[in-house]
Amino acid sequence: MIEIKNLTKYYGTGEARFKVLDGISVRIEAGESIVLLGASGSGKSTFLNVISGLETLDEGSVAYDGKRLETMSEKELTAFRRDHTAFIFQQYYLLPHLNVEKNVKMGADLDHNKDFLPLLEAVGLAEKRKKFPAELSGGEQQRVAIARALAKHPKVLFLDEPTGALDEKTGRLVLDYILQLQAKQGFTMIMVTHNANIAETADRILRMNSGKIVSDTLNPRKKTAYEIGW
Amino acid sequence: MIVGIKDSLKLFGISVMVCCAVTVCNLFLNFDLDLRAIACFVENMEALAFYDALRMTTKVVCGVTGACLAATTVVMLVFYIKHYIDRHAREIGILKALGYSDLKIAKGFSVFGLNIFLGCLLGYLLSLLLMPMFYEKQNVGNFLPNLSIKIHWLLFLPLVLLPALAFGAIAVGYSLRKLNQSCVNLLKGIEKVKGKNRAGKDRADFVSEMRSSVLRSRKVLVFFIFFSSFIFSDTILMSVSMRDIASDMMGIMIFLIGVVLAFTTLYIAVSSVIRSNQKSVAMMRVFGYDAAACKRAVLDGYRPASYLGFAVGAVYQHAMLRIMVEVVFAGVEGVPEYEFFGERGPFRKLTEATTLYFPTKTANPWPPN
Ligand SMILES: Nc1ncnc2c1ncn2[C@@H]1O[C@H](COP(=O)(O)OP(=O)(O)O)[C@@H](O)[C@H]1O
Ligand SMILES: [Mg+2]
Repeated sequence: MIEIKNLTKYYGTGEARFKVLDGISVRIEAGESIVLLGASGSGKSTFLNVISGLETLDEGSVAYDGKRLETMSEKELTAFRRDHTAFIFQQYYLLPHLNVEKNVKMGADLDHNKDFLPLLEAVGLAEKRKKFPAELSGGEQQRVAIARALAKHPKVLFLDEPTGALDEKTGRLVLDYILQLQAKQGFTMIMVTHNANIAETADRILRMNSGKIVSDTLNPRKKTAYEIGW
Repeated sequence: MIVGIKDSLKLFGISVMVCCAVTVCNLFLNFDLDLRAIACFVENMEALAFYDALRMTTKVVCGVTGACLAATTVVMLVFYIKHYIDRHAREIGILKALGYSDLKIAKGFSVFGLNIFLGCLLGYLLSLLLMPMFYEKQNVGNFLPNLSIKIHWLLFLPLVLLPALAFGAIAVGYSLRKLNQSCVNLLKGIEKVKGKNRAGKDRADFVSEMRSSVLRSRKVLVFFIFFSSFIFSDTILMSVSMRDIASDMMGIMIFLIGVVLAFTTLYIAVSSVIRSNQKSVAMMRVFGYDAAACKRAVLDGYRPASYLGFAVGAVYQHAMLRIMVEVVFAGVEGVPEYEFFGERGPFRKLTEATTLYFPTKTANPWPPN
């Protein structure tokens, strides 16, 4: 369970100082799949980075099963990220000098996971495992990023616009892999997007505007990646 | 154009290096020309032996400094340009796609000649400043009463103008060669991973995997790290023994050149490894690898090269000194017995220096940018 209370963050200093996150309070249960919607610049990425321990906060608190992030040292935060979280970004960020398999190993090693080939199979890339990122299409690279993130068996998976750089067909495919793996493995999932259609695939939809959560609704009928509009 | 004066000034290390080289070379060449002019005035046996030893030293010093530093400068320049083109592959790809010719882009790299020119010029001026002191120190005991300073302005040509032009041309030529690839490859950055990384065998854990891939993606750096340690151990030893054999000033000068050379090479090498792996390190940190693991993945592969450089440098210098003591200074009185492992010997001092040197090698790569 993630308990976020009165989360506030500023960017800039002096005259240029502004509030990016404005007193956000929200409670996320284990195993929930959440989509965070909002216009560009509303603070979604910042929110994701703060609650995942990548960035610090200025006021409020973020607690995972009672353990508070803002009181942790850099070392404890590193250990927290290692044991609890995984990230998928819009830009993939694969390691360019390592092949697909070794990129996945980066995640797998953190959980002493030697058996990560099934994951590559699950994202349909088993036969491309010796290829380098530059030799893959955008959709394939993002599937590698999915395998890499899930190979460490995260308790919470953060996704920042995972299909933002992909066309409709590839986007649906990638989204489908993510949703299927979440259904199977049951990790908590927090996905940021500006595509309102994608929200229909989640258990719960949060809408963000100017650093505030303006609505928080449950989605009674979850749809698959192929049932939604795009 | 894409290579600005600012980019070239980042290559400050190279300027410092050529500055040192030109200072030393101009001092010794000028000195040698003046010595040559008074050859017929040297009369007694003692003065003649001294005179011969002096001329031998100037030749050795000029040859070694000039050749070594020129070679290093070329390697560093070429490496820097390669690194620059790799890092700006995308922008260069866009320029090419827009219709800029290779030559037009390559011309921009000639600004690196400016670095060399500034360094050489500074070195030249510095040598003029040091010359009176240098002559006095060289002519110990006033063995050569006729020796006086005459500045040979013609040396400006081969020591300042020529290197600047030559290095400018090398920069343009080399970049022209590197730019000769398709826009698409530049845009995608494919060149970086082709072929050379295929060979890597599977390793037990990810950090070792990463370490070997970092090593393979920048092989020249292995040489730089080796060279840096080599120069460091070599010049420390040389400077220590020069203080005994020749003069304090020689010792200090060699020490300074060595330190500057070793640290600029090291700095360029380490900072380029870190810069080119910044995103990967950032990603490792996001996933929960700690700073120590990132450091191991990115820098540790170069450690053996560094140790080897130390060892080879020490052995090499030991041999050089033996030759110098037994051959060059054979006829000269008062050269102290040279003892490598002795209480005052260079080996002792090297081991002390090593402990100071190593921490600087493992600069923290986090946070990036
Ligand atoms: N490192 C930063 N420094 C200063 N301002 C930033 C920084 N990162 C983001 N911002 C600003 O904070 C606001 C929210 O950004 P972000 O969280 O990236 O929005 P979103 O992901 O919803 O598009 C934007 O106005 C952006 O310009
Ligand atoms: Mg964003």
